[in-house]
This record gives sequence, structure tokens and C-alpha cells, in this order.
Amino acid sequence: MAEHVIGTIADFPVGSSTVVKIRTIEIGVFNVAGTLYALPNICPHQYGPLCTGGVNGTMVSGPDTDWQLEWGREGEILTCPWHGIEFDITTGQALANPRFKVRQYPISVVDDKVTITLGS
Amino acid sequence: MVFTIDADIHVNDTPGKLAPYCEMPWRKSLELLDGGSYPYLQIPGFAPNLRQDPPIAGSPPYRSVETAADMRRELNELDIEVGILFPDHLLLFATLPNREYATALAHAYNRWLAEEWLQEDNGLFGVVLASPQNPEDSANEIRKYAKNDRIVGVYLPTAGVHPLWGDRKYDPIFSAAQEADLPVCLHSVTITTPQFPYQLDQFENHFARQVLSHAFAMMANLTSIMHTGVPARYPKLKVVFTEAGIAWVPYMMWRMDKYYNEYRRHVPFLDRRPSEYMRERMWFATQPVEEPDDPSQLVETIHQIGDDRIIFASDWPHHDFDHPKAILKLPMSQDLKRAVMGLNALSAFPRIPVPVAAE
Repeated sequence: MAEHVIGTIADFPVGSSTVVKIRTIEIGVFNVAGTLYALPNICPHQYGPLCTGGVNGTMVSGPDTDWQLEWGREGEILTCPWHGIEFDITTGQALANPRFKVRQYPISVVDDKVTITLGS
Repeated sequence: MVFTIDADIHVNDTPGKLAPYCEMPWRKSLELLDGGSYPYLQIPGFAPNLRQDPPIAGSPPYRSVETAADMRRELNELDIEVGILFPDHLLLFATLPNREYATALAHAYNRWLAEEWLQEDNGLFGVVLASPQNPEDSANEIRKYAKNDRIVGVYLPTAGVHPLWGDRKYDPIFSAAQEADLPVCLHSVTITTPQFPYQLDQFENHFARQVLSHAFAMMANLTSIMHTGVPARYPKLKVVFTEAGIAWVPYMMWRMDKYYNEYRRHVPFLDRRPSEYMRERMWFATQPVEEPDDPSQLVETIHQIGDDRIIFASDWPHHDFDHPKAILKLPMSQDLKRAVMGLNALSAFPRIPVPVAAE
């Protein structure tokens, strides 16, 4: 298990998405409403550069919206730039497919320093 | 013997037979159409079709069944205990352009079906015709015939339907069917129009039309009802697909799931993958069942779709009917044979009473 300091909190403001490299591993770092998340930059679908896609909201619909389409989850959805597959940044889970889930690396902020833990 | 429910057999619904059951003024029209000699499933103003290529000699003659007693006797010869009746000519119902006439014709067919075919406790059950030309009236018909315990489903005329069955104009039909716990049954037929399913009018003989028309009709309508969220918006609605075989189903499961991955935001009312809705509340009738050289490949296809999703259908008495032995000879377990031949249909059609023999 190894801790890697990737910057200070100022480097990852709310709403930002950043790809950092630790050794050979590319990791997307996202600040969603003040909470940091770290996801691998590789899509489980066809290995696209997942974390270089845009952070966005998405369409939601159901009984709660009377089956109308509404825009929701702004800032929580990561979209792979290759095939457009949507992931919930906060869980790593693809919205459309239970088989697609990316891991979440432990990420923490201590004394303004942002640290990702690998090998856990 | 394996208890057998046949999800698709056909009654001969000529204009002359329906005329006494039809409201005026359209009874007059049916009387005018009565007695004509027409090619198979081609009656202008009743079963619109447009085939421009010549007939080819050597084809077997067309069969039809005229009475409930005849149907019962013929099904006995096929070892079929329970049959679900669909029309012959009104397979082409969706292409009738006159809304008032179509409404009266649907009423007439439903009356005739109930009066002439469903009077006795003889293993014959019916599906009430829902007119796509008049969804509100069809919802009333569904509510009316839901009181008849020999009506076990709703027939959605699928050949030539425009717009496809996922259009929201049809919501009253799905709502009424769900309310009555009657499955909706899509049934297509070979049809020649430039619009539906896809330019089959360009084919110069029937081989080509027969290959593509039913499967395309089902694929287009399955996609249609999925893309407007029908299975999500009607969470208890059961859907039965008839007369397109089954091998197209895994393809559609895989293809819709693939594009759900990419385009979920277009259909956010689907909270599961399309295949999951299909495996939960949709059933697929076997006929005309595919016949690969290696029959185990067909059994594998059944497994892929789901052992509980497949229901037997013969399409009796039509030219491409399947004998029950077409399924019974497949290399599969006795339990799976029992499921496909009868038990699965009891789930799709909950109104059909469970026979003592099947318990």
C-alpha cells in the first residue's frame, strides 16, 4: 500500500475533473460538490479513456416526473468520450449496465494535500 | 403426453360471417364484400394487400377452419388441448384507413368471436381485437370483454400498423390491458406496403417477403414499445410476440442492451436494460420455429432468451404451421418441454385455467 500526494486541494476545485498519472496508472480526480473521487481512466466497456469525458448531468424520468424527461444529477455523471456510456462518479457504477462498474481509489485530503492510496 | 397450449391458431373471419354482427351502415359494406373469390388474405376493403407478382403453381392449397367444432377436432388430431384464437383476414386490420369502419369491424369481430367460437368449455380461448385506428374505443372493448372469462388477451394487429405500437396514442389500450391483466399479443402477417416494415414491396416473390416480414414487424414494434417506455410505464403489462420464430430475440436483446449502454439518456424512463424487461414480462411464441441442422443450437437459443419465455404456437391451419412434434423432438429436458409446450403460456395468459394434468 502506497500513498501518493497528487497536489493540493486548490488544484481540484469543485466541478473540476483532472487526469493524474501515478507510475503507469492514469486516474481521474473529480470534485463533486466538495467531495473528491478518484476513478481509473479506463472504461470497462472497450477500454476508452473514461475520465477525459465530460462531467455532466443527465436525463431522468419516471413516476416522480410523471414520465416526463427532466434534467438531473448535474455534476455527478461522467460520460466516456468513446461510446457515451454514463457513470455515476460517486459510486463508479454505469447507469445503464450493472456489469460496468469502475473501482474507486481511496482519496483523502490532509493539511490541504490530496493523497491517493494505491495497492490497497 | 405433454400438456399443450397453442398460443396462435386462426379462425376464418370472412366478410359474410362478420356481416350479421356488424353495426350499420358498415354491415352493408360487408354484405357487398361477401361471396367474392379472393386470393389468400387479400380482400380489398377488408384484408388490404397488394402483391404484384404472379401466383406460382405447385403451392399447397390454403387451409381455413370454419367452426369451433372443426377446430376442436383438428386440434385433437394435433394433440393440442388449449388453443388461442386469432383471425385470418383481420391480421391485416391495421391497414384499414377508415376509422369508423375499422371500429365497427373490430366490434363485429369481437362479437362474432365470443358468439361463434367461445361459447363452449372446449379449450378454445380468444383475444379481443384492439383497433389501432381507435384506441379509446379499443380500451372500452377490452374492459367489456374482460368480463368474458374465455377472453385471455388482447390482439394488437401488427402488420402495417402506423405509427408503430409504441406511439403514445395507444396508451389507453395498454392501460386497459394492464388493468384487466390481459397480455397484449402482437401478431403480424406478410404484407406489402412501402412503409412497413421496410420496403418489402421491392421483393419480386414471396420467399423474400416471408423471410423478413414477420421478424421485421416484431423487431420494429418491440423497439417501438421499448423506446417510449411502455414496459416501464405499465409495470404489470404482459406482452406476447407471435408468428416470428424466436431466433431474432437474442439479437434484439443484445442489440438493445448495447445501445441502452450508449443512449440511456434518450430513454431514461427505462430503469433496467431492455433485455431485463423482456425476460420479466414478455413471451415469444415458437412458430415458425427455426430449423437449424444442429437442433441443439435452437435449444441454446431458447436458453439464451430464457427457458420460461418461450411458448408453443402452431399457427394452425396456416401453410407454415408447426406440429407440436417440431418442439417435442428437440434435444431438451422433459421439464423444458413441459414449460415450452404449456406451462409458460399459463404465466403469459393467467386466465387460462390450470388443467389437472399440468399440476
